[in-house]
Amino acid sequence: MNTLLCVAATRFYLKRPWQLCLAIFGIALGVAVYVGVDLANDSARRAFNVTASLINGSTTHQLVGTANDIPNSLYRDLHLKYGVRFAAPVIEDGVRLASNTRRELTVLGIDPLKETEFRGFSSFIPGSETNLPQLISEPGTALLPESLMSELGLERDDELGLLVGNIEKKIRVIGTVRDISLTAEGATAPIIMDIATAQELFNRTTISRIDLILNDSEAEDLTSLDLPNVLLTDANDRNASFDELARAFQTNLTALSLLALLVGVFLIYATMSFAVVQRRKTFGVLRALGVDRNQLLLVTLSEALIIGAIATLLGVLLGHQLANSLVELVLQTTGDFYFRSNVAPATPSILLYIKGFILGVATTLAAAAAPALDAAHTMPQTAISRAKLERSTRKIADRAALISVPISLAALVLLGFSTKSLYLGFIGLFLVIAASTLLIPTATRVFAKLVEPALERSFGISGSLAARGISASLSRTGVATAALTVAVATVIGIGLMVSSFRISVDEWLSGTLTADIYLSTESENVFSNSRIEELNAIQGVIGTSITRFIRVPTEQGELTIRAQRAGPLGWGLSLIEEFPDAIERMESNEGILVSEPLAFRQGLEPGDKLPLPTKQGKEEFTILGSFKDYNTNGGTILMSLSLYRTYWNDEDINGVGVYLDTNSDRENTISEIRTFLEETPSVRYRSTDFIQEQSLSIFDQTFKITEVLRVLAGLVAFLGLFSALMSIEIEKTREVATLRAMGLDPRQIGILTLSQTSLLGLASGLFAIPLGIIMAILLIYVINVRSFGWSMSLVLSSQPLLFGVLLALTASILAGIYPTVRAIKFNVAPQLRDE
Amino acid sequence: MDVQPNNQQIQLIKVEKAYGKHNVLSNCNVNIKRGEFVVIVGRSGSGKSTLLNLIGGLDKPTLGEINILGYSLHTLNEEKLSNLRRKYFGFVFQFFNLIPTLTALENIRLPMSLNGISKKDSINGAKLLLKELRLSGLENHFPDELSGGEQQRVAIARALSHRPEIILADEPTGNLDLETANEVLDLLNTTCRRRGTTLIMATHSKEVMGLADQIFSIRDSEIKKAST
Ligand SMILES: Nc1ncnc2c1ncn2[C@@H]1O[C@H](COP(=O)(O)OP(=O)(O)OP(=O)(O)O)[C@@H](O)[C@H]1O
Ligand SMILES: [Mg+2]
Repeated sequence: MNTLLCVAATRFYLKRPWQLCLAIFGIALGVAVYVGVDLANDSARRAFNVTASLINGSTTHQLVGTANDIPNSLYRDLHLKYGVRFAAPVIEDGVRLASNTRRELTVLGIDPLKETEFRGFSSFIPGSETNLPQLISEPGTALLPESLMSELGLERDDELGLLVGNIEKKIRVIGTVRDISLTAEGATAPIIMDIATAQELFNRTTISRIDLILNDSEAEDLTSLDLPNVLLTDANDRNASFDELARAFQTNLTALSLLALLVGVFLIYATMSFAVVQRRKTFGVLRALGVDRNQLLLVTLSEALIIGAIATLLGVLLGHQLANSLVELVLQTTGDFYFRSNVAPATPSILLYIKGFILGVATTLAAAAAPALDAAHTMPQTAISRAKLERSTRKIADRAALISVPISLAALVLLGFSTKSLYLGFIGLFLVIAASTLLIPTATRVFAKLVEPALERSFGISGSLAARGISASLSRTGVATAALTVAVATVIGIGLMVSSFRISVDEWLSGTLTADIYLSTESENVFSNSRIEELNAIQGVIGTSITRFIRVPTEQGELTIRAQRAGPLGWGLSLIEEFPDAIERMESNEGILVSEPLAFRQGLEPGDKLPLPTKQGKEEFTILGSFKDYNTNGGTILMSLSLYRTYWNDEDINGVGVYLDTNSDRENTISEIRTFLEETPSVRYRSTDFIQEQSLSIFDQTFKITEVLRVLAGLVAFLGLFSALMSIEIEKTREVATLRAMGLDPRQIGILTLSQTSLLGLASGLFAIPLGIIMAILLIYVINVRSFGWSMSLVLSSQPLLFGVLLALTASILAGIYPTVRAIKFNVAPQLRDE
Repeated sequence: MDVQPNNQQIQLIKVEKAYGKHNVLSNCNVNIKRGEFVVIVGRSGSGKSTLLNLIGGLDKPTLGEINILGYSLHTLNEEKLSNLRRKYFGFVFQFFNLIPTLTALENIRLPMSLNGISKKDSINGAKLLLKELRLSGLENHFPDELSGGEQQRVAIARALSHRPEIILADEPTGNLDLETANEVLDLLNTTCRRRGTTLIMATHSKEVMGLADQIFSIRDSEIKKAST
C-alpha cells in the first residue's frame, strides 16, 4: 500500500478527532452489549450445569417416589432382593440460614461409606483433615462448603443455625467441602451430612431418591420389575423442562443483544459511509493522479479494519465489565426461577471473547464494504456533487422501501406457518424489523416534505431550510433515523411487553388468590381433618380450600400436582381451552386440568390423555382443559382432591386457603388464627396481599435485566443519532458560514440546527410507535408463547410509548446542541474560503 | 437600526490585521463614499479577501477602527453585526457559495425572506432579477444543475435581491471564462450604478480598473491609493 495514501487517510481522521471518537465508541458499545450478554449467559449456563452435576455426581439413573418420598426399606430391597450393585440413598432438601433467612442452601444427605465407592468423590471433595465416617459416628454434624465457612467466619466445631420451615435447628461443622468448582466453574457446593442426620433434621423417615449407576440392560431389568410407587428416571432428563425454560430465557436475552449489535451495525455503516462521502473530491483527484480502484478499496477497507479492531477491542473489554453486572442479574432471574441452590458466576471461556472480537471486526468490515466500493468507483476528477449523490440515494431509498413489501410478506408467512419454533419466531421478528428499517429513509423524506410548509410559515425560509436539509442529506439522515427508530421501537416494544405481562400477572394473581390467607407447610400430618374443622369454626372464617401439592416425576420431567377442594369462592381459574363444564367435570372426577405452559410444551389439548405415575401404577387421565398459570415450576396439573386421594392413597394436606367474612372483625379473626397456629410452628402464614406483593416484586426483579438492556439500546441509539447529526452539521459548515455572512444571526442558526435535529428525533419517535407496537405484539403473541407457553394480552399503556418518543426527542435535541454551539461560535471568514 | 447615510459611508482608520506574527494589513486608512465603485488589487496572498472580510464584519481587525454607515463595528455585538450584514450588505464570493439545497429562485429569495419581505413580493423580485440576469427558465434548478457562469449570476442576483447599500465581491469572476466574466462584471457594475449601490470588488481584471472610481492596491501589507 502506498504510504502517502495511508498518511492522507490517517490525517483525515486525526483532523476530525470527534468523528473518530464517536465512530470508535459507537462500535464499541454495540459490541460490548452483545459480548456482555453472551458472556453472562454462558456463565449462567455453565453455573447451572455445574450445580446439576454436583448434585447428581456420576449417577446415571435415579429412583424417585411417584407420590411420596421413598421408604427406607426399598433401598435395602434393592441390594438384597434385586441385586443392584451400585446404589446410594440420597436426601436432597432445602434449608435457609437462620442468620440470613433469604439465603437458601441445598442439603445433601448421603451415606458416607457408600459415597467412597459410589461417587468416587467426583462431585465433591472433602477439605483437608475431613473425616467422612465421623459424619456417621457423631449425630448432628455436617460438612460445609469452604466458601460458606469463610463467608460466615466459621471454624471447625462451630455451630450453625439452619431454618427448616420456620424451625431453627443447629448443626455442628466437622469438616469442609472443597469449592474446587467455585473458582473453576462457579457453583456453590451443597452442605453434606449423613443421611440419618438429614432425616432427623428434616424430621422424615423417607429418602428423596436413590442414585444408581446402571448400564442399559440393568436399567431395563429394573424397569421391568415395575416397582410400586417409584419411577426410574434418567438422571440427565430430570431437569429437562427447567433447562428448556432457562434456554428460552437466554435466547430472549441473546436476541436483545443482537438487536443492540444491529443498531451498532447502523452506526458503523453511517460512520464509514460518511468518511467516504466527505472525501469524494479527494478520491476523484487521487484517481486522476493514477491511483487505481483496488488501491482505493484497500485503503478504505484497511481504515475500517483498524478502526473496527480498536473499537472492538474496547467493546470486548467493556463487554467483560458489563458481563460482571449482567451475570448477577441473569443468575438472579434464572436462579429464582429454577434453582434453589445458590449459583455463582463462572469464568467464561476465552473463546467467547474471540468470537465477540471476530464478530465485531467482521461486522465493521461488512458495513464498510459498500462505502468502500463506492470510494473505489469514484471516477477520476469528475467528483460527483453532493447533491447528485443525494438524489441517487433517494432513488435507492425508494427502491429499498419497495423491497420491504416482500420482506414483510415473508415474515407474515413465516410467523403464520410455524406455530412452535422459537427460532423461526425470532427470524420473523427480525424480518419485520428489517422491512421497517428499509421503509424508514423514504418515510423520513416524506415526513420532512409534509412538515416543510408548516416550518416555513413559522420560521420563514430558514425553517424550510431545516426541513430540506433532511432530505438533502438523506444518505445520512436516513440511516440515522432508521437506527434511532429501531432502538426506540425496541425500547417501546419491550416496555409494552413487560407492562402488559405485569398487568396480566397482577390480574391473574387477583383472580387466582380467592382466599384471604394462605397457610402452607412442608411437613407431614400437620393439617388433620379435625384441625381444619377447628379452623373453620373460628369466628369470622367462612370457609377453607384445602390443597395437596406434590411433585411427580414423568418421562418429560417433573410436574406439580395440585389436588384441591375448592373454597367458598370457587377455583379462581381462568381457562384457556376447555370442554364445556370443564370445572364441574373436574369436580366430579372425570379428568384433570393442565397449566397452559404444560399444554403448550407437550401439545396437549382437551380430550387428550396424560399418563401419570400413581400409587396404583401408571394411570391415564383425561384432560378437560388448560388454565392460565404464570408459575415457573415446569408444569402444573390440577385435579380434585378426591380424585387424587383415590389414586394416590394420600390423605395429607399441605396448603389451606382461609376465607374471611368481610363483615366480621378481621383483626380479631386473624389474631385467633395466629393463636391457633402456635401449636404448629412449621406452618407458614401468608396473607393474599403479601403473596401478591411478593410475586410482583419477584416479577420486577426478573425483568430488571430487560430494563438494563433497554437502557443500553437507548444509549446506543443516542450515540448513533449524535454522531450522525454531528457529521451532517459539520459538513454543512460552509453553508452555515454563507448564511452567517448573509446576516442570519446566531439565534437563527441555532433554531435552524436544533429544529432540524429535533425534527429527525420526532420522526424517529413517531415511526417507532407503530414499529414498537408491532414488536410488542410479536413479543407477546409469538416469542413469549413460544418461549414460556404463557399467553397474555397486549395492554397499550401510554407510558412506554411516551417514554420512547421522549427518548428520541431528548437524544436528538442533546445531539443538536454541540453542532449548534459550534455553528454559533465559529469564525465565519475562514469557513468561506475554498475547501 | 436607522442609518443616516453620510458622506463617508465606509471608513477604515489605522486598521491593522495580523494572523499570529504574520502582519497582513498595517496602518490601513480607507475612505469610501456612497455609490462608489472601488476596486482592490494586489498579488495573491496580499490581503484582499482579508480587507473585504473586515469591511463586511466577518472578521475583526487586530488594531484600528472601522466605521460603516456611521457605526463603529467594534461597538456592535454579534446580533447587531448580523443585522447590519443582513440589511446593508450583499456578498458575492469567488466560489459562489450557493445553498445546495435551495433552488436558484430560492437562493435569490433567501436575503429578501431574511429581511421580512413577503413571499409574494420576494418571488416577484427574484423573478425580475432572474430575467435581468438572463436566467429565466432556470428558477427551479439546484446549484449543481447550473454552469459556473449561471451559478455566479445567481449569486449576484442573490447579493442584489434585497437592495443592499454595499456589495462586497471577492474575485467574482475568478472562476469564469473571459467572456462570461466580462458579462458578469458589466451586470454588476451597471446595476450598482443604476441603484447607487456601493460596489467593492477584489479583482485582477484590467478592464474593471478602468471603470472604477477608486483603486486600492495592497503591497507588503500597505494599502496605496492608485490613480484611476
Ligand atoms: N485564518 C488564517 N490564518 C492564518 N493566516 C491567514 C488566514 N487567513 C488568511 N491568512 C493569510 O493572510 C494573507 C492574506 O490572505 P487573503 O486571503 O486576504 O489574500 P488574498 O489577497 O485574498 O489572496 P488571493 O488573491 O489568493 O485570494 C495570506 O498570506 C494568508 O496566508
Ligand atoms: Mg482572496
